[in-house]
Amino acid sequence: MLVASGLNKRFGPTIASNDISITLREGTVHAIVGENGAGKSTLLRMLGGAFRPDSGKMTLDNAPYAPQSTFDATHNGVALVHQEITINRSLSVAENIFIGDMRRYAGSFGVLKRKQIAAEAQASLDRIGVKISVNANIDQLNLGELKCIEIARAISSNPKILLLDESTAYLDHREVDAVLRVMQELKSKGMTIGFVSHHLSEVLAVADDLTILKDGQFVGSYRADNIEANEIHRLMVGRDVLQGIYPPHTPLPASTGAPALRVTKAAVGRELNDISLEVRHGEILGIAGLKGAGAEALFAGIVGDEPMRDGDLQLDGKDYHPTNPRAAWQHGIAHLPGDRGNEGLIVSFSVLDNLVMARPPAVGPFFSMARARAMSKDLIKQIGIRASSAEAPCQSLSGGNMQKVVLGKCLAVAPGLLLLNNPTRGVDVGAREEIYRIMRQKTSEGLAILLSSEDMPELIGMADRLVVLRRGEIVHEFDTLGNVQEHDIVQYMI
Amino acid sequence: MKTPSSGATVPARDGGFKTRPIERLRRGFPAIFLVILVIVFTTMSQRFLSLDNLSTVLEQGTVLLVASLGASFIIMAGSIDISVGSIVAVSALTAALTADTMGAFAIVPAVLVGALCGCLNGLLVAVGKVPSFVATLGTQVVFRGLVLYFTKGAPVEIGSDGFLNAYSSVSYGIPHTVMIGLALAVVAWAIFKFTVFGREVLAIGGGERVSILTGIAVTRVKIQMFVLLGALCGMAGLLQGARTMAATSQLGIGLELDVIASVVVGGTPLTGGLGSITNTCLGVLIVTLLSNGMNMAGVDPYLQNIIKGIVLITAVYINIDRKKIGVIK
Repeated sequence: MLVASGLNKRFGPTIASNDISITLREGTVHAIVGENGAGKSTLLRMLGGAFRPDSGKMTLDNAPYAPQSTFDATHNGVALVHQEITINRSLSVAENIFIGDMRRYAGSFGVLKRKQIAAEAQASLDRIGVKISVNANIDQLNLGELKCIEIARAISSNPKILLLDESTAYLDHREVDAVLRVMQELKSKGMTIGFVSHHLSEVLAVADDLTILKDGQFVGSYRADNIEANEIHRLMVGRDVLQGIYPPHTPLPASTGAPALRVTKAAVGRELNDISLEVRHGEILGIAGLKGAGAEALFAGIVGDEPMRDGDLQLDGKDYHPTNPRAAWQHGIAHLPGDRGNEGLIVSFSVLDNLVMARPPAVGPFFSMARARAMSKDLIKQIGIRASSAEAPCQSLSGGNMQKVVLGKCLAVAPGLLLLNNPTRGVDVGAREEIYRIMRQKTSEGLAILLSSEDMPELIGMADRLVVLRRGEIVHEFDTLGNVQEHDIVQYMI
Repeated sequence: MKTPSSGATVPARDGGFKTRPIERLRRGFPAIFLVILVIVFTTMSQRFLSLDNLSTVLEQGTVLLVASLGASFIIMAGSIDISVGSIVAVSALTAALTADTMGAFAIVPAVLVGALCGCLNGLLVAVGKVPSFVATLGTQVVFRGLVLYFTKGAPVEIGSDGFLNAYSSVSYGIPHTVMIGLALAVVAWAIFKFTVFGREVLAIGGGERVSILTGIAVTRVKIQMFVLLGALCGMAGLLQGARTMAATSQLGIGLELDVIASVVVGGTPLTGGLGSITNTCLGVLIVTLLSNGMNMAGVDPYLQNIIKGIVLITAVYINIDRKKIGVIK
């Protein structure tokens, strides 16, 4: 049993943890939930030895516990799995599992004892109940499987307590299920698990207890059986979200929305084969599908990031052949990529720099700083970007605010068609609501949106119509999402 | 911090961003370093701070300055060009060969040939997707080879009065080369600071993938910046020819290293996305003052390169933001 009480942690002026207490009961799964920046990861890292609290007390099985490092924590039987995937793709599965302790397997002249390391790695993998062979080619494993390998790495030290940090934030449904199964397997073997999560559905699926944090403050600890999802939401956000976070539809009569984009028998890369669809002005067309089902390839084809193998595109009734993303932007297609840090924005640049990047205001060849200031001021206000100033670097913002900057960059060009790839991935509930509000507002003004998302409630809540992709083809279309449930969609995806 | 966002309805929750003292020190480092150098050399030699010597420093630094101005764009975009010295040599030769017939107008073929060399580099890097280090390593040898082929190793003298009057004389006590160099610095500064091109160069350095997906014409901008560097190297070659009144096959050898050193000592990381022309000017001053100062102070010439290397590494060690270190594209 791990008990922490009165934990405080400051980073400069930011109070990341203010007098937080938590008890991980023996053999239970304990979820830590809250919005981005609520202090979930900070708490988990203090428990796992990655951060040292400024003040507060921790005990492990009634003995004082004050880990100086993650290494020290592991020694005490507490293992931490970090949020980011830390698999090295140039090593084998077994080497990845024992990467922290490779010297133990060194034979004469430092040669690695491959058989021994492989056997022990396989034992770790079997113990968490995943079907991954140590001989598997690491490039062919999906993110969920990589996460499982990290869990195997963590439990290879035989911990009593396992701490998982937002381990499922970047995984798709199938992958999340794999991780949840591993958690249940470990729990059945008597392990105590603490985990941080964004997804309430997965929290409710596996957690026995949950602790809610908000703005670095402790809100409360609850038995999962005694609390409803809506109540959790309300406590996380601090206001009533009973009516849901999705703004109501304002459906246009089907006849009024002119087609914005028509895709005919499009094939792109290896993923996408023969897709035809149409999105009209004033509507949001949702795209559901597992990773690799074709949504990313479709977007890459539409914005000209990858050449189309086959098929035609028509934009506002005219033939459209994108040769590169520049052409797409010039045709009024804005694109919010799925990887915010590497594709969406330049984090070391200021909010203003990013906002005006797609179409810098200029007089001849000269950049107009005055107009750029006015433009970014407008966008910051319109989208509700919370930044100390337009000159603040994006890396000083939260994930949600960074995503709003990317959205602002898209809207700055007044697009006719907007492609959104998982626009709310890793975004807190508050920022989500604002992003949804803007999507609704812009569609009511005639914008057409293609929304690809792994978040089923988001697709159901926001899309007017939905197509489900599987292996590069459309397997089902929902013309209305009024009574559609999550599993109705998921059944077509798998 | 300036706060132009008077969006009072937006509460500032995130981005309580302050420049840390250490960060401010790092940014001001090139200037501080320059002051330290001046103080050290002044105490070592009385003539160091004389007007006469400072004018010599400017003259010595002009070729380096002009080439470094162009290289700043390349490095800020996260690329590199090590064919600089060879382009300077090709351009100087072009100027020498055309000066007799064209006089002062030899500037046109010199700059054009430089720009052409740069264009070739740009095409290789931007269209051919050859990493800039490798592409310019190859063209460095090719351009140098061209000079050797046409001169057979013999120097080509420049005797045209029109050319020498225009580029190597002195007006109002200031050498023309220095005036041209400073004017080019102002132009480069304005291009970087006030044009969309300048912002796009920085954006490519900050995140090439982001820039592509945001619709920046990355290929075009890259070619443009290599052409700009080529043209400026053309000017540098012309000025070098004017100073030495001849083009030799050895001209500009090793210049690229001083150029890269100047840009980096000025505080621009090799990974790009950061930097300014003013920084580069400071860097050029530091590199030039270091050589000049050691000469003035009578440091053993055989020791100078060792000291120079150590000083440059120390400067960059203190200067560079280690989080920014990555791979040169």
